Amino acid sequence: MTGLPLNIDFQQILLHLFNFTILFGALYILLYKPVRDFMAKRTEYYADMDSKAEEALHEAESSKEVYAEKVRTFDEETRAEKAKMNQEVAAQRDRQLAQAKEDAEKIVSDARVEANREKEEIIASAQREITDMVTGAMEKLTLEQSASDAFDQFLDAAEAE
Amino acid sequence: MSKQERRKAILIFAVIALVFMVGAILTGAGPEKETIQEVMRDAVLHDINKVSLFGLEVNPGLLAGVIVSGIMIVFALICRIFVIPKFTMVPGKFQLVLETAVGIFVNMAKGNSKINRFLGAYIFAAGAYIFTGTLFELFGVQAVTINGVSISLPAPLSDINGAIMMGCLSYLVIVSGGIAGNGIRGIGKALKEYSLPISLSFRLFGALLSGALVTELVYHYSSLSYVLPVLVGVLFTLLHALIQAYVLTMLTSLFYGQVSDNTPKPLKDKNADGTGRKITRLKLRRLPKLQHHN
Repeated sequence: MTGLPLNIDFQQILLHLFNFTILFGALYILLYKPVRDFMAKRTEYYADMDSKAEEALHEAESSKEVYAEKVRTFDEETRAEKAKMNQEVAAQRDRQLAQAKEDAEKIVSDARVEANREKEEIIASAQREITDMVTGAMEKLTLEQSASDAFDQFLDAAEAE
Repeated sequence: MSKQERRKAILIFAVIALVFMVGAILTGAGPEKETIQEVMRDAVLHDINKVSLFGLEVNPGLLAGVIVSGIMIVFALICRIFVIPKFTMVPGKFQLVLETAVGIFVNMAKGNSKINRFLGAYIFAAGAYIFTGTLFELFGVQAVTINGVSISLPAPLSDINGAIMMGCLSYLVIVSGGIAGNGIRGIGKALKEYSLPISLSFRLFGALLSGALVTELVYHYSSLSYVLPVLVGVLFTLLHALIQAYVLTMLTSLFYGQVSDNTPKPLKDKNADGTGRKITRLKLRRLPKLQHHN
């Protein structure tokens, strides 16, 4: 079609349109769609990976919290156990100290009793010995005074046997 | 390579370039078949140099469009068969280029509209076509006109018919976005922007044509044919290929997003008691009091 300004030709416009439509279709099927689909697939792949990582991180954080709680509980238990043990040790120590004190007192009192007894025994023994000595001396004196009497008595006794 | 060898290579290169330059000057431009006015007029109107496409007399831009489409389809086919099946999660260089090219348009569509599946595909195709088509003129692919004259094929969209097709199609896509987002009301919203097909078409046509005209002008005079084409031919073409691809796709997705947006309009500002009086009125009433007080 001629007669339009600038040589505008509807037939050629339609031919351009036809040409471009074919190009559009071919580019869409051969290039645009496959590349876009691949990009979408990759985005999905990385989004999936990201969500999995997020999930794993979340799980790790919750596990961390659980373990931290366990550690806290364990610490508290250990502290309580330690305190209890300390108390027991202290009680045991007190008991042993008391026992030792008691034993020591008993040993001291026993020793004191024993010493008193031995002292008394020694005194009694000394007294006996003194008495014996005195008696012996007296007897000796007595014997010396009557030696002849004694000799006679001896002979009498021997004869009597 | 030693310093002496390098110097020798540079000298040989300079001599060869000089020989070509002298040859170009001595042989001359040959008999002028077309004046610059005719060349530029034909670049705008395409009323002299027509080419044959399957028996039809068409503008060279249409033939260029068909060739560009063919090249792009073959490229896409090669990518589909040999490259895309070998895509990896960590992309290589070429995969990165493809993904970036697609990703730019996918993100542009997502950023501008909630309904973006078709829009992304359309702006990808349009952007790729404008970019590749504009770069195509750099290669100077030759064609023979029906008059037997050899011409270098221009960018497909420097042909007014190609630009009108692209502008109007983009407008139709915007209308389709209005229908998808808002039904019949969407058509009304899209029709409000009735100047869009013309502005989109002629912006594209003007931009690409100006590039073509400057290039024609530079190549027409042999005195301008040294060094300057490197700037004009390559840099300008690369630049406006990028800019035009970006501008059309951005405008299309912006308007598409605007007409397909179906979020309800916010209600008018009301007082807390719901009397419907605007807050601005209250402010106006209170301001003089404050001033008086001060």
